[in-house]
Amino acid sequence: MTATATPTPGVRKPVAWRRIALHLGCLAALLVMLYPLAWLLATSLKPANEVIASLDLLPSHLEWSNYRTALDGVNDVSVWRLLTNSLLIAGGAVLGNVLSCSLAAYAFARLRFRFRGPLFAFMIATIMLPHHAVLIPQYIIFNQLGMVNTYWPLILPKFLATEAFFVFLIVQFMRGLPRELEEAARIDGCGPFRSFFLVILPLTRPALITTAIFTFIWTWNDFFTQLIYLFSPDKFTLTLALRSFVDASSTSAFGPMFAMSVIALLPIVLFFLAFQRFLVEGMANSGIKG
Amino acid sequence: MTTTQVPTPARTAQTPPVKRPKRQREGAAWVFLSPWVLGACLLTLLPMAVSLYLSFTDYDLFNSPNWVGLRNYTQMFTEDPRYWRSVGATLTYVVIAVPLQLGLALVVALALKNMKRGRAFYRSAFYAPSLLGASMSVALVWRALFNEGGTVDNLFGTGGWIFKPGWALVTVALLTVWQFGAPMVIFLAGLQQIPGELYEAAEVDGASGWRQFLSITVPMLSPVIFFNLVLQTIQAFQVFTPAFAVSGGKGGPADSTLFYTLYLYDRGFVASHMGYASAMAWVLLIVIGAVTAVLFRTSRSWVFYASDTEGGVR
Amino acid sequence: MPGNRRRDRTRDRTCGSARDRTRDQARDRTRDETRGKARKPRRSRRAAVAAGLAVALCAALTACSGPDGSTSAGGKVVLRYTWWGNPDRAARTQAAVDLFEKKYPDVEVQTSFAGYDAYKQKLATQAAGGDAPDVMQLDYRMIDQYASGGVLLDLGTQQTVLKTGEFEPGLLATGKLNGKQYAVPQGRGTETVVYDPTQWKEAGLKPPADASAGGWTWDQWADAMRVLKEKTGKPGATDPGQSEDSFEVWLRGQGRSLYTKDHELGFTVDDLTRWWTFTDGLRREGVVSPAEQTTQLDGSVENTPLGRGKALSDMNWDAPASGYLALIPDGIALAPMPSGADGTPGQYFKPSMFMGVAADTGSPEQAARLIDFMLNDREAAAILGATRGIPVNESIREEIAPELKDFDKTIYAYQATLEGRLDTPPQAPPSGDSALQTTFQRDYDQVSYERMSPREAAQDYVTEAKAELRS
Repeated sequence: MTATATPTPGVRKPVAWRRIALHLGCLAALLVMLYPLAWLLATSLKPANEVIASLDLLPSHLEWSNYRTALDGVNDVSVWRLLTNSLLIAGGAVLGNVLSCSLAAYAFARLRFRFRGPLFAFMIATIMLPHHAVLIPQYIIFNQLGMVNTYWPLILPKFLATEAFFVFLIVQFMRGLPRELEEAARIDGCGPFRSFFLVILPLTRPALITTAIFTFIWTWNDFFTQLIYLFSPDKFTLTLALRSFVDASSTSAFGPMFAMSVIALLPIVLFFLAFQRFLVEGMANSGIKG
Repeated sequence: MTTTQVPTPARTAQTPPVKRPKRQREGAAWVFLSPWVLGACLLTLLPMAVSLYLSFTDYDLFNSPNWVGLRNYTQMFTEDPRYWRSVGATLTYVVIAVPLQLGLALVVALALKNMKRGRAFYRSAFYAPSLLGASMSVALVWRALFNEGGTVDNLFGTGGWIFKPGWALVTVALLTVWQFGAPMVIFLAGLQQIPGELYEAAEVDGASGWRQFLSITVPMLSPVIFFNLVLQTIQAFQVFTPAFAVSGGKGGPADSTLFYTLYLYDRGFVASHMGYASAMAWVLLIVIGAVTAVLFRTSRSWVFYASDTEGGVR
Repeated sequence: MPGNRRRDRTRDRTCGSARDRTRDQARDRTRDETRGKARKPRRSRRAAVAAGLAVALCAALTACSGPDGSTSAGGKVVLRYTWWGNPDRAARTQAAVDLFEKKYPDVEVQTSFAGYDAYKQKLATQAAGGDAPDVMQLDYRMIDQYASGGVLLDLGTQQTVLKTGEFEPGLLATGKLNGKQYAVPQGRGTETVVYDPTQWKEAGLKPPADASAGGWTWDQWADAMRVLKEKTGKPGATDPGQSEDSFEVWLRGQGRSLYTKDHELGFTVDDLTRWWTFTDGLRREGVVSPAEQTTQLDGSVENTPLGRGKALSDMNWDAPASGYLALIPDGIALAPMPSGADGTPGQYFKPSMFMGVAADTGSPEQAARLIDFMLNDREAAAILGATRGIPVNESIREEIAPELKDFDKTIYAYQATLEGRLDTPPQAPPSGDSALQTTFQRDYDQVSYERMSPREAAQDYVTEAKAELRS
């Protein structure tokens, strides 16, 4: 809350103190937040008998073979193949969601059409039904379309704006924009399409970047959908492969599973780091002067 | 479905400055909507209709469904004590996890908003836990931290929270709260969208930081706060993955983390009572729909949309 | 950024009527090309890149979608074969399948696998969607459900290809339902008391007698656990009360069974109450693991009290017990399950997993041939070893015995002490059992967390079990 204060000449000193206190607070919070992550990293280097049972953060010795096993991939499928597959699916999903959700959101937020209220309510309602209940009907549809064991069931829904979460997200952002923007554009003779692409879309960029980041991470980690629709191991993803190290009915390899988790984490870390920059270049300083 | 209504932004749109044939603009709307319409009909409406039908049958995944009328629903409400345990656990979870997660996300987003140095670093670091999702490895870490003799026990002498029926739910809620990155990023994006001039003007008027927060930040951020509130509430009602991972799918100890969708999954895919599971899903949809409708109703009094007024802050 | 937006606005002013718009865009494009470095034009170029990406993605996806189902591709019959297991089993299975493809060049086998829990859900979804794989690995508990749901083919129709003459008849019968052979067992396993011999010795206990020397009764077992607890301070065993499998062994030791032949409950509330009173009493004494430890069980050895160093023995199936080797540095030993008071053995040789064929497969003969190969071929057996349990084919079992390594050898020796002493296995449990297995754990959780008495919980369980078996 203090963060909203901007320094004025007379009170520079207390503000500096505040800033230091803020940093200290943030760092303390981070220490707590990142401790489980450190645990995850440390566990990926623990020998087998310490992975589950040990209650110490640090391994007794570094077990690099966990990583060697993980990097060997699974069942003749190399880690690089798994990585490529994961990237293809997550990349396709990002493209699909950003395109289709922003289109639908614009219509809901800015355009008038019949049944808009009921349709919007329906869209929100689609988030409310637990997806396990529609899993089998959806599987049957994709099976009928001959899409099982392809990436279509993982990507096509994103191009059809089925993730109402993101439609709703972008709607909320678009409604935050003053209407005069388009009115001005309309006076200039821009139709809805040009207003959308030239006026609204650039201003919604924080929401679009947010959509891209979340879609990437959530698709990446979405174990169940990948499990159901992918059959051949050469189409498997990192997320699927890391689970295959664990089989409750035979012997599991928890060490390599943790190592694979860390490996699978790297691409999403990089993606996040690359794209979160764009969140900063928001519209805060440019101002919306109508 | 639900009685949810969009707060009509038509208020200003009623008198568009430049008149265009209505039909043309309606046509444009449908062009924008076309992917969504296709997806909604094929991949959402159809499966939803099927699951609604199945909820009145004894479908068991393997044999063709037989119509049983309301039996699944009456069984759920009158004969299944575990169902009510799952309802209780879910409500407790919603009440604990949603305010904590949103509060934390908002506080951190505000703290980072005007930070000049290190903002990108903090944002990334605070988001880091959310990158993991609720995978099996995270669940195992969680178990280790909250187990007897684990870090939390050593620091606070709590004992093995994760396997105490009274506390296990709290550890699952903490896992969700810990991954507050998504609402935080959405808050931050929303804060970015607030025009800087508003603060400059307030500064000139000599408004205090707190005053600016109340009269600029809150109203300008309200659509995003509302979004986060609605979505996190819906997601909390449907909490599945963290509980599934932490309890290994069982919802233990002693059913204390047997959340609604976890029990639904158990009925549908472990016990193969897909008809019953579908009925559970529709009851949940109606409950969430009602809660969301209430949220939308109240939103009219506190959510401010820039597009609804003539511009600027009230 | 501000400059960028302002430019947007000026450009917006150039928008003409709807008809002019296209011309505008064309002009923009030329402008974009001439001022490649300017910020503005990049947007439309980015849009073009995005569109191109979409097209490329579609192309890539179409290229990826290979042949599906059991339709023949390029004159070859394509079989889909799925199983659950760990990477080691996957590697061995793949090697055997490769050999099969070499021997039968007209068949292509597409394989897939997952961990057990994931596999179960995936297979159920596939079966419900009418898309079951041609050849699938099945658990004892799945057979009734899949067979009665019409998912499985009667393998009796493929007798000419799939030979079962060398199988133990009792084990083979477990894959039968209503006289039809819906699945054939691949390997056999049995339950065992896994213990840490070093710690037992330190506690002054003699290792339990093996079955050929008479084994031990449940009371003798409980006494041994009490000694362990007294000497080491640690619980002697995992609380067996949560395990439907252990309960079944206890029940069979008294001449009863979990289910009757016509798929009804084979025991009463009183029986279950006695079992839970017995285990709950041991738990209260601290002789078996406390509720907080017991509830952590998830099927993996790592999460058992023995695996975590919180108890000194565990009841488990013999094959997964190999996982303890990595966790207990001094090694482990296997003892038989306790028997009834009169020495009636409760444990039995259970088929550890089955193979079945989808009823709607396009090539039943080739599917049966694959199963025959996996179970009866000498070379395949050499590759597979005991990865799915000790082989059911008796001559293969003898043949691979000298080749077995490490823990497989221990299991083979353990099973040899039981040979000829155990009753025939029961037929596959009714379909409701897969749900009841977790219900059993849940209801016992209520007992061990002291929220219900053994009798109350037993009543709950029996009520639910009866309802489950009726439906």
